[in-house]
Amino acid sequence: MFQTRDSGADDRTEILHAEGLRKVYGARTALKNLSFSLQAGRVVGFLGPNGAGKTTSIRILTTILQPSSGHFVVDGISSEHPEAIRRRIGVLPEGLGFPRQLTGFRDLTFYGELFGRASAEARAVADQLLDEVGLKARAQSPIGSYSHGMRQRLGIARALVNDPAVVFFDEPTLGLDPRGQRELLGLIQAVARQRHKGVVLSSHLLSEIEGVCDDVVIMNAGEVVAKGSVVDVIGQGGHDDRIAFRVRVPLPALDAARSLIEALPNVQATAPADDASGWLGVQLVPENGSSDPGPRTVNRILETLIAADVPIAGVDSGASRLEDVFLRLTTETIQ
Amino acid sequence: MKQELLELWAGGRILNFLVLFTLLMSLTAFLLATNTELHLLDPEQTVVVALTSALTFGLFIGLAIGAESISGERERATLEPLLLTPSGNRQLVLGKFLAALSPWPAAMALTLPYMAALSQGHQVLGEAVLWGALSGTLLAGAFVALAMMVSIWSNSSRLSLFVCLLVYAASLIPAQLPTEFLASPGGVLITLLDPVESSDQLLSKVLTSGEPLSQAWPYLASPAIALALALGALFGYAAPRLRLTARG
Repeated sequence: MFQTRDSGADDRTEILHAEGLRKVYGARTALKNLSFSLQAGRVVGFLGPNGAGKTTSIRILTTILQPSSGHFVVDGISSEHPEAIRRRIGVLPEGLGFPRQLTGFRDLTFYGELFGRASAEARAVADQLLDEVGLKARAQSPIGSYSHGMRQRLGIARALVNDPAVVFFDEPTLGLDPRGQRELLGLIQAVARQRHKGVVLSSHLLSEIEGVCDDVVIMNAGEVVAKGSVVDVIGQGGHDDRIAFRVRVPLPALDAARSLIEALPNVQATAPADDASGWLGVQLVPENGSSDPGPRTVNRILETLIAADVPIAGVDSGASRLEDVFLRLTTETIQ
Repeated sequence: MKQELLELWAGGRILNFLVLFTLLMSLTAFLLATNTELHLLDPEQTVVVALTSALTFGLFIGLAIGAESISGERERATLEPLLLTPSGNRQLVLGKFLAALSPWPAAMALTLPYMAALSQGHQVLGEAVLWGALSGTLLAGAFVALAMMVSIWSNSSRLSLFVCLLVYAASLIPAQLPTEFLASPGGVLITLLDPVESSDQLLSKVLTSGEPLSQAWPYLASPAIALALALGALFGYAAPRLRLTARG
């Protein structure tokens, strides 16, 4: 993992502030009025379905695109100075490519030099970063021989060669297996916590955002539909008392299971999954006015099914609470 | 630029082109040495034919590499990290320009043994090397710059290469025109407008007809102007407009 850095800065230092960012392509508005701020050592997640405007936002904040209106400040540098901003940011773009014949070490050294480091210093930084992302043993192997996960870790190392104040990760776990996802998210979290960087993580995976981020900006169709700390955003969804719960039964028993469950108190509705998988969604209402739907209601559902000899093939506590909020705020399907 | 050179040379791309170049030059030299009709040519004329062939093949290498330089980075998704560095677009384009130009000196060096053999010890060899290197460098620079401009405005290397090949083929058309027409005022104008044909005429006039440069200079001016225009357009207009996608 990364060496802990003494930033010398207050933990609450605002490292990135965006105000009213907007991007228009002809008649289409790709991004409407994005405003948020990020503090050093924290991770903000950009969450939204495909086409929500996450990548556009990141490309504006990383100076690749110019906003149609609005401005932002990175580490005290205004968006009017894109070259200066590029010195203070690191980026792992979505679908990043690498020169296959170069070694990981050579690639990092090259980028270190592009950021103005002397050759010896660039080599030392490359060596250290490869060690920190767990690629030291493969430092001299051609990148073409790296797995996808290794390339993403190399991408993280590349994003850190200039010791940036803010690091952007655009869909970093796309195409990784669960272990690779977990390892990469651990690295990203370490970038914020141990290196004391501001981190912007774009993802359409709720579990990533909920597990790693301190703050979240939920986007849909180019618009910010909710933002704040993860806890606050989940709190924004607390007004809806409906709670999701799913149970999977064999298809022939589905109708019987629905009838049994709908007859129970605190059950608002049931809905079988469209894919004929046997999953039955159950909407619960809180018990006795409590905000907690109550494990007792869930227990009662399971007891009822067992008593009726309905085989239970699976139980899912349902959507995470952030997912509840997300589903309510967006109209797109989560992939 | 170091990175670009490493990728192009160590990646084997330039070496593949140079192997092809050597094969073509070997074939040309073999024909010049053995073909009954071509065998009747003077050593000066033989050297000029070999030199113009080297120019024609050598230009293609620079053109092909230049055409792929930016659009290829787009296709491999390696352009974005380069744009994210504090290096300016002009610096990025300059590195790629010089790297794409780098095969030309190697091609010229590979041509020397062929010219030496075909010159049969004639003193034209020294002059041929000088004028060939000069006009070839001007042309190679102009063609690489042109190809890079096309590449900056292409999202696909296939499209970029196609457009560049059209330009390349068009530049070779005047060489196929009848000699009588090329001697007419219209032919001279076409020759002067086409830097490749102009360069061929320069080599022919200086090396075989023995014309002094004071008379043949317009034929040197053409590739020089082409290079100046191409460089101006590349670094003055196209490079600052380099974006992640061709549409910006």
